[in-house]
Amino acid sequence: MSSKRHLPATGLLAGTTAVVLGLAACSGGTGAGSAGGGGGGGSSATKGATTIKLVAAEYSKNHTKAFWDQFAQAYKSKTGNTLQVQIVSWDDIDQQSSTMVQNNNPPDILNLNAYASYAKDGLLYSADEVLSDTVKSDLLDAFVKSGSYQGKMYGMPDLSSARAMFYNKTLFQKAGISAPPKTWAEFQADATKIAGLGNGAIGYGLPLGPEESQGEFSIWMFNNGGDWKKDGKWTINSPENVETLTFLKSLATKKLTQNNPGKTNRQDAFDLFASGKVGMVVGFSPLAGKLDADKKVQYGVAPMPTKADGGTPQTFGVTDYLMAFKKKGNQDAVKAFYDLYYQKDQVNSFIKAEGFLPVTKSGIQEFSGDPKLKTYLETLPNAHLTPTDDPTWDKVKLAVQQNLGTAITGDPKAVLDKLQKSAEAGG
Amino acid sequence: MALLWLAPALLLILGVVVWPAVELVRASLARFSITGLNKGSAGLDNYRNVLANESLGTVLANTVVWVVAVVALTILISLGLAQFLTKDFWGRRFVRWAVIVPWAASLVITARLFSLIYSYYYGTLNAVLLKLHLVHTPVDFLGNDRWIMPSMVAVGVFVSIPFTAYVFVAGLNAIPTDVYEAARIDGASPWKIWRLITLPLLRPAILVATVLNMIYVFNSFPIIYTLNESNPGFAHDTTITFMYKLAFKSAEKDVGQSAAAGLFNVCLILVAVLVYLRVSRWREEES
Amino acid sequence: MATATPALTGTSASADTATTSATPGGWRRARPWAMPLIGLGVSLAFLWPYLVMLLGAFRPSSDVVQTPASVLPRVWKWTTFPEVLGDERFLAWLRTSVVVALASTAIVVVVAIPAAYFTARFRFRGRMAFLFLVLVTQMFSPTSLVVGIYREFFTVNLVNTYLALILTNAAFNLAFAIWILHGFFASIPRELEEASELDGCGRVGTLWRVMLPLTLPGLVTATIFTFIAAWNEYVVALTLMLDDSRKPLTVGINSYVTGYEQNWDQLFGASLIAIVPVVILFALIEKHLVGGLTSGAVK
Repeated sequence: MSSKRHLPATGLLAGTTAVVLGLAACSGGTGAGSAGGGGGGGSSATKGATTIKLVAAEYSKNHTKAFWDQFAQAYKSKTGNTLQVQIVSWDDIDQQSSTMVQNNNPPDILNLNAYASYAKDGLLYSADEVLSDTVKSDLLDAFVKSGSYQGKMYGMPDLSSARAMFYNKTLFQKAGISAPPKTWAEFQADATKIAGLGNGAIGYGLPLGPEESQGEFSIWMFNNGGDWKKDGKWTINSPENVETLTFLKSLATKKLTQNNPGKTNRQDAFDLFASGKVGMVVGFSPLAGKLDADKKVQYGVAPMPTKADGGTPQTFGVTDYLMAFKKKGNQDAVKAFYDLYYQKDQVNSFIKAEGFLPVTKSGIQEFSGDPKLKTYLETLPNAHLTPTDDPTWDKVKLAVQQNLGTAITGDPKAVLDKLQKSAEAGG
Repeated sequence: MALLWLAPALLLILGVVVWPAVELVRASLARFSITGLNKGSAGLDNYRNVLANESLGTVLANTVVWVVAVVALTILISLGLAQFLTKDFWGRRFVRWAVIVPWAASLVITARLFSLIYSYYYGTLNAVLLKLHLVHTPVDFLGNDRWIMPSMVAVGVFVSIPFTAYVFVAGLNAIPTDVYEAARIDGASPWKIWRLITLPLLRPAILVATVLNMIYVFNSFPIIYTLNESNPGFAHDTTITFMYKLAFKSAEKDVGQSAAAGLFNVCLILVAVLVYLRVSRWREEES
Repeated sequence: MATATPALTGTSASADTATTSATPGGWRRARPWAMPLIGLGVSLAFLWPYLVMLLGAFRPSSDVVQTPASVLPRVWKWTTFPEVLGDERFLAWLRTSVVVALASTAIVVVVAIPAAYFTARFRFRGRMAFLFLVLVTQMFSPTSLVVGIYREFFTVNLVNTYLALILTNAAFNLAFAIWILHGFFASIPRELEEASELDGCGRVGTLWRVMLPLTLPGLVTATIFTFIAAWNEYVVALTLMLDDSRKPLTVGINSYVTGYEQNWDQLFGASLIAIVPVVILFALIEKHLVGGLTSGAVK
């Protein structure tokens, strides 16, 4: 930490290297292999404002890095600043970002699916400091709201997705179902028919495993009038939510779902749907992209069924964030970063390549020409999100992921009671 | 004088092992926010919280089962395999190369591969079992509570055998042939020869293989983390994955607690190894 | 193991002749074809998961996650390996892995020799302490220390360099190498060394010209062991290597299968390619390895 500690440490390491290399030389050049060692150059420390670092999550192997590399070049030629790009897989980004913050070495921009805890710790710039007015007014209101902690916006959305009900048209036809279900009762009847087809057919692909169970549960609870929080109070174990989880459990008990839904992750459910065995699954646009590429499954996309007859379907929306860390002298460079990112040709081409949904009003306009996205785009401005603006949610989300699946074999109410208790205790 | 010869090794150990270990101790005494931000001293709270974790008992029991099962099975199978690999037969070189492959493959990849092989819906293993009519419905190797640990142990043994077998092959090759000659002249049965001559002479190799395997298996992360990925909670975690989840995946999400758990881990394996060495009287062996 | 001086005996004879001659005659006739057959079975027992992997590389990703599962591809795809080998990102990861594994191995060998030799030959104050320190090093896994490791290399400004990765791999594999070589040096008769010194070689000259050739099997063992460990290291590389092009294979190839995009075929193809260098290295020095573990390991 203090400079006093640096010197002996550096010396120690340098010493090791010197001795090692020296010895290698004496013993006939076996050390030649270490030649690549010095190549690092250690340029990771921030040098003034002209070099900023971005840690970005990897959505896809072929597009994410290509986009950010291109972006870094455009950024350089436009501002003269350098943008270092580091792409990290979703599996590892929590560890990476935590490690960096622990060492007081956060990147300048971090791409993550949460931001509120960082805002709470006072690490971030607010939109007032780094976002120009034109950019801010272009962002969809729902996302400005979900990106705001205590009245100020910190979580700048990079892209969004909305969930909808995917159904297998071929299986629907075989089971004699004419239209996608509008209510839970219809849904259950349809799932029963499909499961009755035999030959491995599965009524509904239900992923309540630890990867993303909060997403699946959110969709169902929102369409039963439930929510995680209402009027500033946690309502995880509200009667509606208990009813919702009990309903999901009953699907499993009646064998309308795939095997062991409490231990199925989202991707597994998608893969099952993509192999044509599943009647319905809650999906989002990347799944559509994959299905279109495979050309194997005839599928349709419909709004979620609601519990009540004639209810308004709720869309579950998700955004990921690009947050900016407060560091001495980086404010202008960060601001320039956002200015460039939210230019139509940048943000929208990124979103298009990755197969997600826009986060800006101008983006919705640009994407509206695509008939496949119609279902999502109409509902996107009113999308219902999880309480990402509450730092407690960052912990509650993890607790939900780790525990919700146990309700499939256990008692839904007990599981939700426990989660409610831990949320009230601050996560 | 001594320093001159030992300095490079000492520098490397102090610089790259001891220093981070000290950092680990410091982290275990600090309070961290969920973001990783250091918020000052925590005293011994992190240690207390780890000890108070309701899953700790399960995790420790899992660890014991995992280490004992994997090490014991690995040693037993490797003993047989090593006997075989020291025979002379056509194609032996090829067999030796084949045996090395699980060691040569990265654990992360082997673990991912097995999570597919075991899969309920896509798994080759279930496809084969069904085709052979050994089962009527697929086995949920990674989801059924009774199958998860055995499935993980099987992979653990699979990747530990190559190294262990080679230690034993070396040990067997070191046994002078004249010892066997003498035994044969005395008319001893093969089993008796193995039990009274081979096994005792192989003891040091077994000792080394056991200690090293205990350490590796205890510290093994990718297998359990990957194969157990879709199971909620800590029900099938060992202390190493428990430590990782404490820091990044659980509701605790606390680097300080994770560091404390990490230090418990080091103490655990140290004690386990020392106890094992004491029990098998390593010191007598050396003198 | 005090009786044998295996470092000198090499690999040649096995216990084979002694044990088989006591078995019945039927077996003796069956043996020439039965043993290779058992050998084939054993090989398959170790190779089958990787054959599954190979088959996975020869089918499109969507056929890998297809239910019901099939052992053979329903659709064959032959372009996976050219795709992977033509992928610049993959080649960069491969280069990192090669550089890091070779350099770590070289450092381990060079650092372990003097330490092992000295502790095996001389009694000095702190000898036990040193050996105990080495033993304790073996207990630490980089997984538990990774936060501290990052902190350290950040302090000395080496994050994102090959050197950081090389030093880490070297340090964590040093213990094994020292123990192995220690056993070897201890088993070499002191007289040999004294004779050499009488011939006018200095201590270093003796070590270089007399001792090292005798410990060659041990060196080979330490080499392959370190190389494999460095080749497969994951957690530290994940944390330290920020640039995509500086990631080693183990970390890089996870890009093939993300939460949003799955290329199982390419992941499998890349993984198989990653196994090849290790197996080749092993095939080259296997003969020495088998002799090598002999003495060092059992001391």
